[in-house]
Amino acid sequence: MGLRTGIKTTQYPDSAETAPGVTPGRPCGIVTAEAEGKTSEVPPCPAEAIHLRGDRISVDYPRCVQCFRCVRSAREPLDYEWSYEWALPMTEDRDPSRRLGKPFARSIHLRLVDAGACRACLSEIEQLGKPYYNIHRLGFFMTPTPRQADVLLAVGPVTDNMRLPLQKAYDAMATPKKVIAIGTCALSGGVFGPSFTSEGGVAKVIPVDVAIPGCPPPPLAMIHGLMLVAGRQVPAQTELDLPSERRTP
Amino acid sequence: MIIDTYSLVVLFLGTCALGAVLSAILPDRSQLKALAWMASIASLLALSASGAVLLFGDASHARLWQLPYFGTIDLYMDRISALFIFVTALVYLPVSIFSAEYMEKYHGRYSLKSFGVFYHLLFASVVLTLIAADIVSFLIAWEAMTILSYLLVNYEHEHEEVTRSGYLMLAMSEVGTVAAALALLIMVGASENFTFASLKTASSGLGQFAKWAVFLLSFSGFGVKAGLVPGSAWLPRAHPAAPGNASAILSGVILNLGIYGIVRVNADLLPVAYPSQGLIVLVVGSLSALIGILYATTENDMKKMLAHSSIENMGIITACLGAGFIFGAYGHPSLAGIAFIVALYHMANHSMYKALLFLGASAVDSKAGGRNMNRLGGLIKGMPWTAAFFLVGALSIAALPPFNGFVTEWLTLQTLLQSSVLSSKAIKIAFALCGATLALTAALAVTCFVKAFAMSFLGIARSEEAKTAMEARRSATIPMGFLAIVCLLLGILPTYIIPVVDRVVAPVVHESVVDGLAPPFFTFTPSKDTKFSDAFVSEFHDLGAQVGRGILPGRGLVVLHQGSERNPVVFAMSTSYTLVVLALLLGTSALLVRLIFRRRAVKRQPAWDGGLRRLLPEMTYTATGFSNPVRVIFDSIFRPSMVENTRETVAGHFRTAIRNGRSETYIVDKLAVQPIFRASRWLAAVVVGMHSARVNAYAGYILITLLIFLAIQGFV
Amino acid sequence: MQQGAHYSSNPANFTDIVVSRWAEEAKVSADREKLIILIQCASEKLQGICRWLFAETECRFATLVVQETSSEWLLRYIFYGDFERGQVHVLVRQPHAYKMIPSISEQVHAADWHEREVEDLFGLTFEGHPRLGDFVLHEEWPDGVNPMRLSFDACKPYPHREVDPEWQPVKILQASGAFMMPIGPIYSDYAESAQFFLETVGEDVVRTTPRFFYKYRGLEKLAEGRSIEQVLLMAERFSGTSAFAHSLAFCQAVEQVCGIQPPARAQALRALLGELERLRHHVGAIASICGSTALAVATSQTSILEEELLRLTCILTGHRYLFGLNVPGGLSLDLSDEKCIDLSVSIASLLGRLNDLQEMLRFSSSFLDRIEEVGIVSRQGAVSYGLVGPIARASGVSCDLRKILPYGFYNNAPEFSTPVESEGDGYARLRVLFGEVKESASIIRQIAFSLPSGGITSEHFDIVPGQALGWVEAPLGAAFHWLSIGNDSKVARYRVTPPSFTNWHGFHLAAEEFAFQDFPIIMATFALSNAESDR
Repeated sequence: MGLRTGIKTTQYPDSAETAPGVTPGRPCGIVTAEAEGKTSEVPPCPAEAIHLRGDRISVDYPRCVQCFRCVRSAREPLDYEWSYEWALPMTEDRDPSRRLGKPFARSIHLRLVDAGACRACLSEIEQLGKPYYNIHRLGFFMTPTPRQADVLLAVGPVTDNMRLPLQKAYDAMATPKKVIAIGTCALSGGVFGPSFTSEGGVAKVIPVDVAIPGCPPPPLAMIHGLMLVAGRQVPAQTELDLPSERRTP
Repeated sequence: MIIDTYSLVVLFLGTCALGAVLSAILPDRSQLKALAWMASIASLLALSASGAVLLFGDASHARLWQLPYFGTIDLYMDRISALFIFVTALVYLPVSIFSAEYMEKYHGRYSLKSFGVFYHLLFASVVLTLIAADIVSFLIAWEAMTILSYLLVNYEHEHEEVTRSGYLMLAMSEVGTVAAALALLIMVGASENFTFASLKTASSGLGQFAKWAVFLLSFSGFGVKAGLVPGSAWLPRAHPAAPGNASAILSGVILNLGIYGIVRVNADLLPVAYPSQGLIVLVVGSLSALIGILYATTENDMKKMLAHSSIENMGIITACLGAGFIFGAYGHPSLAGIAFIVALYHMANHSMYKALLFLGASAVDSKAGGRNMNRLGGLIKGMPWTAAFFLVGALSIAALPPFNGFVTEWLTLQTLLQSSVLSSKAIKIAFALCGATLALTAALAVTCFVKAFAMSFLGIARSEEAKTAMEARRSATIPMGFLAIVCLLLGILPTYIIPVVDRVVAPVVHESVVDGLAPPFFTFTPSKDTKFSDAFVSEFHDLGAQVGRGILPGRGLVVLHQGSERNPVVFAMSTSYTLVVLALLLGTSALLVRLIFRRRAVKRQPAWDGGLRRLLPEMTYTATGFSNPVRVIFDSIFRPSMVENTRETVAGHFRTAIRNGRSETYIVDKLAVQPIFRASRWLAAVVVGMHSARVNAYAGYILITLLIFLAIQGFV
Repeated sequence: MQQGAHYSSNPANFTDIVVSRWAEEAKVSADREKLIILIQCASEKLQGICRWLFAETECRFATLVVQETSSEWLLRYIFYGDFERGQVHVLVRQPHAYKMIPSISEQVHAADWHEREVEDLFGLTFEGHPRLGDFVLHEEWPDGVNPMRLSFDACKPYPHREVDPEWQPVKILQASGAFMMPIGPIYSDYAESAQFFLETVGEDVVRTTPRFFYKYRGLEKLAEGRSIEQVLLMAERFSGTSAFAHSLAFCQAVEQVCGIQPPARAQALRALLGELERLRHHVGAIASICGSTALAVATSQTSILEEELLRLTCILTGHRYLFGLNVPGGLSLDLSDEKCIDLSVSIASLLGRLNDLQEMLRFSSSFLDRIEEVGIVSRQGAVSYGLVGPIARASGVSCDLRKILPYGFYNNAPEFSTPVESEGDGYARLRVLFGEVKESASIIRQIAFSLPSGGITSEHFDIVPGQALGWVEAPLGAAFHWLSIGNDSKVARYRVTPPSFTNWHGFHLAAEEFAFQDFPIIMATFALSNAESDR
């Protein structure tokens, strides 16, 4: 049966993935029309992710939860892009004990810590090991113990009960080690935000090296982030994304 | 010779007597020091005496007093006795030094004086038993040894369980003694006097029935003493009941006396002539080994576990003896010789590592609050030396190179594999089955001692006493270290020891087997005259068998058996080389790690526990849990009975407590001892019935007896 | 029971029977249009009424809603029968000072965890409940501070306290050599955070004690005082893999409160998307069952199908997990008829491959060995614990809200059946999952080929105060959302009882008396979600 199915694995990152349905896309900021100095209206955003700065409307991606209200129910909808290279580096990587270095370029072990995520991010991470994305071909492997892990994947807004386990998992890793915070909840607290029972982001508990925004970020974005942490690719541009394909959903 | 063994023996006996006297009169303060000194001196004397006999030749033959009707009291130390005495003294030496600190805990509770007296007298009686050369002195010394060992077991006589165990041991030992005495007396029937020498010459004249009777009686009698199934019911109770150092003596010395009896009667005095007799010995040995190790694996009390393990080792020794008997009965003296060598070598090994383990267990008992492995744990932090030496003992008993257990375990299995020379199919099948059983016991032994070491010394402490345990004093750790070093030496120098044991065995099988055991390659001495053809030997030369000649120490241990011309069978192993290679590998790796990583910092973090707040001892594996699979697989032997299995439920749905209890039966008790108890009780009931207290009945008895005698008189 | 049959045949009678039985002891009122019976009673009568409802009329327990007002406590126990009997609410009012309520867990064991949650979050004590404490709030939380109280400020972080060094988890097994194997909050490769203590003597797990709420995000507390718009976002996102179902339940609750009905096309599309989510969720569950037994070929094949379903969902709706679709009154996005038909065709081919897979699994004896007769939940256990969803169906208890309390499009009853098995072991649960996948595909096809035309949202409406129960048959079972909107058009009380919460309660029935190695497999066959349960 397996032979009949053929090869399903994506070609990314060697070449871009063009199949439909691989990413929920995200809104992108636009330069406002300034014919008469009129500022455009900022579309409603329940996550307070859209800001008007000077002459452009920009999207704060670590807060965007992909609710589509800015494109569906806004009077002036934002442009939408179907990209997936969303990972952002968070540190300057000056600390030598945190640099992963050459031995890790082709083989990295990952430990996933669920600090209160809604399971959509977890489901996307599960797809990473499955035939369509198959990160094993790139040299990434999941381990069940942080002792043997080089990179910690943290999802969720770090609920109160998971703060100590997350801290312990981070401490249990041997240097050099890196942390990838995946998902909007892990970056800014998501829809639940900082509250009496959640910290509001992984960075409040352990230092984060790479952030992958999205709710949930598609597996391709996570591959992008993993390549970044292994030192193999360039990060996405933030403020004004180069147009990949602008289509309204 | 310069050394006069006779005078050494006399000196030894005198030292023991002096020691006993000093123990009786000295006050408690200097009691233990005196004991340690006197017993050590006695051990050294015994070591030199027996060493002289072993290395240089036969020893004294002392004819002492002439008793009326019983004949002369004859004392003769031949090489067999010398080997046993050597092992005995080698055990007594460290145990005596250990006792200096260990017995302090009995100060004020029990009489240290009586312990000292019993201790010295036991030593003397053991040696006397071993050098007795006529029945009377043998039986007297044997009885003395039995009673003194009972007194040592019964030392903590205020505990009911101790007294019960001691009583059982005494009763069963006496039964065994009676059987052995009967065997000897049957042999007397054909000889002119009571000495062993005359027994030996006359034994060939016994009829078949008499030979079988002698074999069965002596094997069962001495087998009970050695703790073979089904006479092992007393062992798991008696050895833990004695104080720790006495347990070491019991396991390392007294059990050997049973083997001595079997060897003396069935190999020396009346060599086994029928293969089926050897088969019985082989099968009983294998069964004992299996049952012993099964119960050892599932036992949580350290000392009881070691006692069961002694049963296992005695079983292995007996199995080798059985194999030797069978080979001898079929006319293969060299193979018989190998088997006997292995048996005696294993006996020596067992004494060494068992004594070491018992001393370790005693140190743990007194410092860490108990013997129950479920309440120990993490002792390696507080007692590093004890842990290290216990580890050596555990590695030895689990038969791992380069320690001594490996040598004899390997040789045992090799010996059993030699059964291809035999003609009888049934015997070959029996050899195969017993070999498989012994292989199974070897595997279970590894499980058992991994559990013993890991549950006690590694992991988290499971009780308060275990957490605060401190290292034992030097007077306790140095004897353990001594025994550990002996274990190592016995393991890496087998090719020097086997010739010594070979000279012990040669008079019995009338052939020397050393040449077949260690051929000239691997050595740097010029080749001796071996019975292998030059072509055969040169083949191995081409294979590079002479690598390291002249550089590496020791000879390789090789079992060569030239089967047929087409198919020579060779088994080769060198434990000394293994040690060298191991040391090189470990040393080089350690050095490399040091050099390459000298600039890296080492961070220590607690063990990863899944993110728990705190890992409690209840969350780690218990000893019961570790051996549970073995218990489940061998359910039919353990026959566990669920005593309590209650489930407490509140309000119909909430389970608040589940209580599971189980008790296990000792299969030997169930199958062998209980039926005998019931039979004797039934017999007693019958006899009680006869005592009806009516005059008429008794008159009737007298009448019947009279009639019977008249009838006998009439026929004879 | 005979009485049950008697009740369902004559619905009007049920209300009369309740009234006639309890009219003297409590105040009974009935809304015959909405089929809600309200019994207001004193706390002494509570146990009797609940026991009668559960045992004699065979109503099922939905949820316990506790609301604190400035002067009193309102405890609302919600039961439900079938579509002819409707809901039964048992309401107890107590003055603020009285914090003791009799526990109904003995009679209605399904209420056990609800009462423990209320005790932790509100501070009420349930008399007669043998195990309170250490449920939602773990050992670090200070005593006497209850987050759901009105006086507690949700935005401030709570103060920590030092943990008692003697604190130990509850130990139930008392046997010599027994120990608890901890399966810590962080375990396995992809598992969600939850803690289990397996009490054992070595081979079999004698007792398993789970500790959940490691992912407690305080959904119900955070919802208080927020607008419907914001709470919709939270209701959708607290459980990502059943986001559509929970947002649907919330929207239905809002629509009930405001008295509006979404147009027919929206209802049909809601049903279609709900079934799409169920399909994808079950395929993922099957993949994880195959993965837990390390059957690599089946895992890979099923994962391929799951990813294809995710992509189909994204192509259809713009998001792989159906986020952002439900709004009160309808949907935010219209799907064209052609797209729906395309979807149905793609799913048909997917289903063909899934059927092949099921055939292969049927003949893989090494796989079946690990699933069959492992993790058995008896029918009686399922009934008394009130289990829902595919797990209950595998044990013979069919509790499908689409049939029992039809909502939205299901009122028109598209032709489908609910698969039910009886063995209650892992294989039965797997078969139920396969069966439901087939039924979902069939429903999608039926709807896609007969979509009513029209708008997808109702006209603009005002948010009015009121309270209502919204429910949905989520992929994992029956989910209940109770919504109470205050005078300021903000949410006053929002109570969610997800199916995972109900089913985790009964998980220990399956895991006990089986060996360690079976534990991850049993957990995979349950396919529950901690994010959904912990909220």
